[in-house]
Amino acid sequence: MDHQGHSQNPSMGVVGSGAQLAYGSNPYQPGQITGPPGSVVTSVGTIQSTGQPAGAQLGQHQLAYQHIHQQQQHQLQQQLQQFWSSQYQEIEKVTDFKNHSLPLARIKKIMKADEDVRMISAEAPVIFARACEMFILELTLRSWNHTEENKRRTLQKNDIAAAITRTDIFDFLVDIVPREDLKDEVLASIPRGTMPVAGPADALPYCYMPPQHPSQVGAAGVIMGKPVMDPNMYAQQ
Amino acid sequence: MADSDNDSGGAHNAGKGSEMSPREQDRFLPIANVSRIMKKALPANAKISKDAKETVQECVSEFISFITGEASDKCQREKRKTINGDDLLWAMTTLGFEDYVEPLKGYLQRFREMEGEKTVAARDKDAPPPTNATNSAYESPSYAAAPGGIMMHQGHVYGSAGFHQVAGGAIKGGPVYPGPGSNAGRPR
Repeated sequence: MDHQGHSQNPSMGVVGSGAQLAYGSNPYQPGQITGPPGSVVTSVGTIQSTGQPAGAQLGQHQLAYQHIHQQQQHQLQQQLQQFWSSQYQEIEKVTDFKNHSLPLARIKKIMKADEDVRMISAEAPVIFARACEMFILELTLRSWNHTEENKRRTLQKNDIAAAITRTDIFDFLVDIVPREDLKDEVLASIPRGTMPVAGPADALPYCYMPPQHPSQVGAAGVIMGKPVMDPNMYAQQ
Repeated sequence: MADSDNDSGGAHNAGKGSEMSPREQDRFLPIANVSRIMKKALPANAKISKDAKETVQECVSEFISFITGEASDKCQREKRKTINGDDLLWAMTTLGFEDYVEPLKGYLQRFREMEGEKTVAARDKDAPPPTNATNSAYESPSYAAAPGGIMMHQGHVYGSAGFHQVAGGAIKGGPVYPGPGSNAGRPR
C-alpha cells in the first residue's frame, strides 16, 4: 500500500492520469492496446490473440457493471443521508462561534473579490464557514466514490473531476477542472466499465481455454515485473 | 486511442506548476484547513493527493464567489448595501444547495442570539433590525420547506422539538427516503 502510494507520485509527475489508467486497465485489451510502454504493447498482442471478447460477453459485462454501479450509488446515497443527518446534530452542539474550521478573514476577502460586493455583515462569513465545510465534505464524499470505483486508496484530481461531472449542482465548477481530467472521466468510462467485472471477464477465458490462459497470465506477470501490481492482478483473477 | 489521449492529458498536467505565489494564496482558503475537512469525509486509510487538495481549494473559492454573486445581485435589486446571512441562504436555495440551508438556518439563528446577548449596538451594526430578522425567519422556513423531499422529511430545527426531529431523521438514515434527484438538488 505505501509502496503503491509512493510510486504513484513520480508516475503522476511523468505520465499523469494516463499511466494510472494504463495500470488500472492492464488486464484488459482496450487499455493495453494503446499502452505507452513497448513491453505492455507486446503483452497486449499476446493476450489479444487468446481473449477475444464476444458479443455475449460484452452484454454480460454491461449488466454486471450496471449492477455494481447501482450498488455503489446506493451506498453513496446512504453516506450522503448520514452526512446530512450528522450536520444537524453537529450544528446543534456548536456553542462557540469564534472557533471556525475556516478563517473568516480569508472568506471575507474572497467575497470582496467581486467588485459588485459592497458591504458584508459579520454573520455572512460565519455562515460561509459552515457552508464551505459542508461543501468540501459533500464534494469529497462524491469524489471518493469514484476513487473506490477505480479500486484506489488515494483521492486524485480526476476523482474530483468525475464528481463534478456527475453532480448537477456542481456545474459551476466545470471550468475549474482541466479538460484533460474531464476527458479522463469520459474516456475512462470504457475501461472502468470493464474493470468492475474483472471476475466474470477473467472467468470466461478460463472456461474457454484452460490450458493456455494460465500460461499467458504467467507471461503477463513476468513481463510486468512490478511487485505493486502482482497482488491486484491476483486479486482480480 | 483512449490511452493516447490520456498520455497527452498527463503531459499537460505535468507541465502545469502546482506552486502558488503568496498573493494567489489569498484567493484560496488554507490548504491545511481544507485537507483536514476532506479527511473527515474519508476512511482512515484513505490518502489525498496534493493535486486533489489544491483542486478543492479552487472549488471552494468558486463556491463562495458563486453564492456571493447571486446574493449580491439580490441586494442590488432590493437596493440594499449589506449582504447578510439570509441573502446567502436565499442564494444557496436558488442555486440548488437546498440541503445546506436547513442546517445553516438554525446555525444563523443561534449566532444572532449570541450576538444579541453580547452587545445591542453590535447587533444593530452587524445584523438587520429585529423586525426584519423576525419576518425573514418566519418567511424563510415555509418558503424553503415547500420544495424538495429532503426538506419536508427533515422538518425544521428549532429548540428541543427540532432536536427530536433530527433524532428521528437519524433513525431513518438507514433507508434512503429521498430519491437521487432530491439528493442532487433541483434548480428552481
